[in-house]
Parts: sequence; C-alpha cells; structure tokens
Amino acid sequence: MAWKKIASLADIPEYEGLKVDVDGHGIALFHVEGEVYAIDDMCSHAEAHLSQGFLEDCVIECPLHQACFDIRTGKVLSAPATEDVNAYEARIDGDDVLIDI
Amino acid sequence: MSSTIASEEKDRTWPELGACRVPAWVYSDPDLFKRELETFHYGPTWSFIGLECEVAEPKSFRRTFVGTRSVLITRDAEGEIHVVENRCAHRGSPLCWEQHGKAEDLTCPYHQWTYDFAGNLQGVPFMRGAPRPNPGMPRDFKKSENGLRKLRTHIHNGTVWATYSDETPPFEEYVGPEILKLITRVFNGRELRLLGYSRQMIPCNWKLYFENSRDPYHATLLHSFFTTFGIYRADAKFMVSPQPNGHEFIYSVLDPTLREKRSEVTDEMKTLKDQFTLHDMDVVSPVDEFEDGLISSLQVFPSIFVQQHGNVLALRHILPKETGKTELGWIYFGYADDDEEMQSRRLKQGNLVGPAGYVSLEDSEVLAQVQGVATSTPDSIQVVEMGGRDNFEPSETAITENLIRSFYKFYREKMGF
Repeated sequence: MAWKKIASLADIPEYEGLKVDVDGHGIALFHVEGEVYAIDDMCSHAEAHLSQGFLEDCVIECPLHQACFDIRTGKVLSAPATEDVNAYEARIDGDDVLIDI
Repeated sequence: MSSTIASEEKDRTWPELGACRVPAWVYSDPDLFKRELETFHYGPTWSFIGLECEVAEPKSFRRTFVGTRSVLITRDAEGEIHVVENRCAHRGSPLCWEQHGKAEDLTCPYHQWTYDFAGNLQGVPFMRGAPRPNPGMPRDFKKSENGLRKLRTHIHNGTVWATYSDETPPFEEYVGPEILKLITRVFNGRELRLLGYSRQMIPCNWKLYFENSRDPYHATLLHSFFTTFGIYRADAKFMVSPQPNGHEFIYSVLDPTLREKRSEVTDEMKTLKDQFTLHDMDVVSPVDEFEDGLISSLQVFPSIFVQQHGNVLALRHILPKETGKTELGWIYFGYADDDEEMQSRRLKQGNLVGPAGYVSLEDSEVLAQVQGVATSTPDSIQVVEMGGRDNFEPSETAITENLIRSFYKFYREKMGF
C-alpha cells in the first residue's frame, strides 16, 4: 500500500464527483466540506458511475437506480444495491489528492 | 370518464327453458368474452395463482395469468409471497419475459426501471437528470406512488390465490365450507413437492373446458380407459355436488373389485374392453393414501380444477386466451415427505392425465371439435337435461348434468341474462 497522487483538488467540483482511472480501475472522488473521499466508481448493483450520482452530505445516490452509498465507508444504505463498494483512504496534500492504494 | 368506441354487445336472449339450455353463442362471442373477464376474473373472485413450492427460494419468481393479464408470483428476500402485475408502471412493458427464475430484483428491459419483489419501485434511471443540469423527473415524482400493481393475496396451506377486487369476501367464505374441507384434504399443511408441468393450448372457449371438468356424465362414456380399468365407472358410488359461487365437487368411492364386476351399466357400454391389461398395472392400482377410499376433484371458480385421481395430484389451471382459445396449465405435485415408492406411483399414474394422458387426451380433442361447431352455428342450442331439467341438487350418480346447469344458473345471474 502506498499513497499515490491521483488528482488535483481544484479538479473536483464541490458536492459533485470526479472519476479517475487508477491502473484501469475507476475511482470516484468527492469533495465535501474540506474533506476528500474515494470509493469505487462502479455501482455494485448495475453498470453505472457513482461519480455521476447525486451527492447529499456524505451520501451518494446512484444515477441509474438511486441505490445510496456512504462515501466515507462505501457501505450500501439503500436498495436496489445490496453489496458495499470499496472505500479508500484519501488525503489532501496542498493541492494534491492522494489515496492509499 | 373517457368515451368508448367499443361496439355494443349484441342483444342476446337466453333460451326460454333456462339453465338446461346453452345457446352456442356463449362460446364464440368476443364481446361476451371481454365482459366475462371483467365480471369474473377481474371481479370479486379468488383466482388460483400457484403453489408456494413453485417459488421455493427467496428472490425467485414465476409468471402466470389472471384472466389474460400476465402476473408474477414472487418470493422476496425475507421469504414472503407477493402477487403483482407483470407490467412496468412506466410504459407497460412486461418485466419478466422468462417463465420463472431467480434475480436480484425485477428490472424492466425497456428503460431499466427497477422494482423489489413486493412490487415497490426502487430505481428510475437518471431520475435526477443527466447530464446535469437537465432536470430529470419532476421534483414531485414519487417512487412510492409508481410501483407495480399489487393484487390482494391469500395463502392456504401452500396454495396461493389472488384477487383484483376489494369486494372479494375472505377466501374461506368465497369457497365455502364444503370446498374448503376438500381443498384441505389434499392441501393439508404437509409440505408440497413440485413434480412438474405440462401445458397445452386448446382451441376452445374457456367455459367449454370448465364444463367438461364438471361433467361426470361424459367421463365414463368418452374415456374408455376409465371404465376398462375400473377406475371410474357409472355404477360406482358418487357425490356430484354444485356449490355456491360457481364452485363444485365430485367424488367417487374407489372400489378395487369394480373392474371385475358386471352390471347393467357395463353391458350397455360398448367401449368396455374387460380383457385388456397393462404391462405395469401400477398405473391403475392406486393406494388409498387419504384413508377415505375416495377419488375426488373440485373446481374453484373461475380458474382451477383440483384433482386427486388415485395417487395423481394435479391442478388444471384454466387460462382463457381468446374467445376460442384456452391454455391449460397442468401442475403435478406430491408431498415433500413422500417415499420413493409413492413418488414413483404418482409419476406413473400421472400418465393418466395431461395433454397426452390416457384419459385426458380425448377431452381437448372433443372440445376443439365442439368449438368449431358452436362458432359456425351460434344460434344453435345445446341440451343439458340429464338428471332433470330443473334439478340443481347434489346427485349420487355420475349420470347427471346438474353441475353444468348450476354453472349456467350462476352465470346468467352474474352476466344478467
């Protein structure tokens, strides 16, 4: 595991998601009140990008079927998804966004 | 209310003699067919849907019909049974295109609207709009108000029933005490085991099939296999009983010595071939598993015929398709705790019934023929007088048409003829 820079803070619109590719794996980044969170971009229910979802506080709602996940933990909060997505440790270093992967 | 451009139903008058006459137009008039579906299948009746053991696992479904409407019987993740219309609340596409299966949820193939197994709408693609700032669905769109149409359901010892109407009385009251007793004789709480299905399309009106299975008069005449092997014979002891709400039951006392007996009945029956035998007589040698010596069948109007024929336990699901087209779904079952010998006996005796059954084969053939004649001569009138023109009482002989007369007494009342 190592910290890796994957984005610049300025690229993540506040209260919206940004999808980045890390070694071919899609990761969704969110910037909420000075903190950055990283989870798998692909919803665990159907093929949809969580980075394009609707963010409310720390809950991301999938754009396709409105399954909700906690962006802090990746835990599924509501149907139709039943499985969690992965969450990754993320931190801000100056203007850099790093995740532990 | 919106106006309708449907043509008015023809002015029909029932023949003067009443329920002992059946005008052939009841089998061929498409306007009447539509009104029957509204009055009966979508009206205050309990339709048979399926057996709980057909959706044994959580998150499984099976497709069936109420009238001509496609419905789903589902079992949700918690194990609860639901009956919902197989019709997306969005644009009306069927959700399940497969006959049965397991899935994570019910997703419409057209726009991927997603429902849970109780029919609640869970997901609407791009509900919040995409790409933003497109508005998506209106802000006041509520998923909770756009679920699948749910039917009222009732479960009786592993059998699942549903109704469209809020007016339908409780199931026990709808079937009445006599039918309830006989249903419970077979569906007695023992866990059921699904043995299999067969399906056939019969080119006849649904009522012709319905009447055929409440007509013991034909049973010993058309079905020579019955009489040849002594399973069912006109000189056996019978109870043929019309019941309220269009239901009926028939039972006969199984007499192992019947096959060898001669009587005035057998002498009259040219179809009886008493020298015939089978390589495997198990097919016609039932054991008395209910310990009452009976062969019993019953109908719960408007959709199901429950049959215990020796050791064959079969349901005939009567599904109207068009005026002159009826699907018959056969469901064969036993009990989860049947031993191997009993299961083998049920399967062997299963050859008696079904689309190519030793006995049932003739029914679909003769009904297809009758339908053709009824359609070409709609003003002809059938005669249903056996056992007495105005006799609607239970009969201790099979040579009666009291159940058909009782059906048409009920039918005329409900349909306003």
